[in-house]
Amino acid sequence: MTLRALIADDEPLARALVREFLANHADVLPVAEAENGLEAARCIQDLAPDLVFLDVQMPKLTGLEVLQLTGLRRGVIFTTAYDQHALAAFDLHAVDYLLKPFNQERFDAAMQRARQLLREGAPAVDRMLSAQALTRVLIREGSELRVLPLDEVEYIEAQGDYVAFRHAGRDHLKAQRISELESQLDPRQFVRVHRSFIVNLRQLQAVERTESNGHAVRLRSGKRLPVSRRGHELLLGVL
Amino acid sequence: MHPLLKKPRALATYLLVWLLTGGALAAAWAQLAPTDGIWGLGFWLPLALLTGLAALSLYTVCRSTPLRPARWMSTLSRRAAAALLLALLVTAVAALWNATGTLWGRAGLVTLTPVAWLAFFGAQTLVFALSALIHDALLAQQAMQAAMATEAQARLLAREMEIKALRRQLDPHFLFNSLNSISSLIQIDQAAARAMTIDLAQFFRLSLGLGERQRIRLEEELELVQHYLAIEQRRLGDKLRLSIDADAACRHVWLPPLVLQPLVENAIKHGIRQLDFGGLIELSAVRAGDRLTLRVSNPVHALARRDASGLGQGLRHLHQRLQAQYDEPTAVDVEDTADRYTVRVSLPWHT
Repeated sequence: MTLRALIADDEPLARALVREFLANHADVLPVAEAENGLEAARCIQDLAPDLVFLDVQMPKLTGLEVLQLTGLRRGVIFTTAYDQHALAAFDLHAVDYLLKPFNQERFDAAMQRARQLLREGAPAVDRMLSAQALTRVLIREGSELRVLPLDEVEYIEAQGDYVAFRHAGRDHLKAQRISELESQLDPRQFVRVHRSFIVNLRQLQAVERTESNGHAVRLRSGKRLPVSRRGHELLLGVL
Repeated sequence: MHPLLKKPRALATYLLVWLLTGGALAAAWAQLAPTDGIWGLGFWLPLALLTGLAALSLYTVCRSTPLRPARWMSTLSRRAAAALLLALLVTAVAALWNATGTLWGRAGLVTLTPVAWLAFFGAQTLVFALSALIHDALLAQQAMQAAMATEAQARLLAREMEIKALRRQLDPHFLFNSLNSISSLIQIDQAAARAMTIDLAQFFRLSLGLGERQRIRLEEELELVQHYLAIEQRRLGDKLRLSIDADAACRHVWLPPLVLQPLVENAIKHGIRQLDFGGLIELSAVRAGDRLTLRVSNPVHALARRDASGLGQGLRHLHQRLQAQYDEPTAVDVEDTADRYTVRVSLPWHT
């Protein structure tokens, strides 16, 4: 079986080196190269490669964000020169990675490990990513992919199997369940105030009492959202 | 609160001196007015103590209105008023205290003529004016010590920044990525691999040497920057384009090391790297009267701008570092337009 590979790195020479080392692996076919994180995410969604060589420090989106945003977990081989933050996360969760500069032997060893994990799945990567709070989301608009900084999102509303991100006066839809999204967000900044709403606390203006003795939040934009009893407790806990 | 009140031993010594003064006054009084005899002690001792305590209160007056050349009239008149008021108060208390002599069947504890009371009042005023003077001197000395401590701290901070700048210079990310590029080039283009190795070596040799010096010529900084840019050009390919504009006179100016280098690094990291097609970095040095203006300008991606949050702090540090190194004023300005980011550094023209 041929494995289709994506090489994502913003440096042409670094990509050339991976191509060179891949020549030793006849069953791997490089199908695409990406020179920034957004392009890598697009390639992953469009081509569904079996193997991804992923540089951690890329423009637009970091390698870890690419995985967070695309949901890709299998067949990832991280490459990095030096990124203390990422290295600490790799070591903590026993995720394999290639430290630049690396040689053919080290590359082959990583390939062997990756092939094995392709069959078994990679829970280590999953654990590592779930330990990191999401800071941006990937939105598909027509055929275009867009990155939305969560800091600027006002609130998030559940709409069936979709969630709508309210950003700059517009709704951006994404196929995801609100409870799954909630677990990926930083609980100190995003609070599920209601079954259907998650609020960005940076946008919060006031917590108000309603006529029916319940609560509501008013946002900076003037928008009012309902607050459930559980949501109110969560709010009190964070504020 | 007066600092003396926090030191019991110093306070006790201070009050003892006043008691002794009171004793001496009583002894002198016994010579002057033999009829009062031992009664003088009862008058002078408590009053000396009271004067000593009252003198301490001028500390508050002196501290709340520090002496300044621009406001000497108001500060002086305030001290004079305080001294007169205190003298009046103590004289009044003295008169009352003296009147307790009637309890023992005397006209007063001691016998003072109106002229003697006036002299008493005058002496009090003098004591309090003197106290204000001493307090002012002590406060000035304290302020000077504080200023010296602040300056020492500022110098320490500047040194720390320099060490940080140096350490940043030996950026491991840059080193390992460059080595990776060389490793890749060896297979593709051996001559280029060798050239890149030399650039990398020269860059590190220069930054180690320059960082240890107080002042270098702009020429030397530019050489360092050019080795750095040569490496980045190989890594980024044709994404990185360059223009350097500095005439011979500018290249001879002395300045602290590593002023341009971090700016160029930022221009690549936050500018060129974020752009799909890269862009042009403009470097220039221009003379403006008795000042040198350095300018680093790079294109920016409209959306990538938000990621540059650490940039403002870096520039602030650079400015603090420069301020600590020059007696003349220095400036670091940013011009942030829709598609270009420009940093201007203005330094004294030293040749």
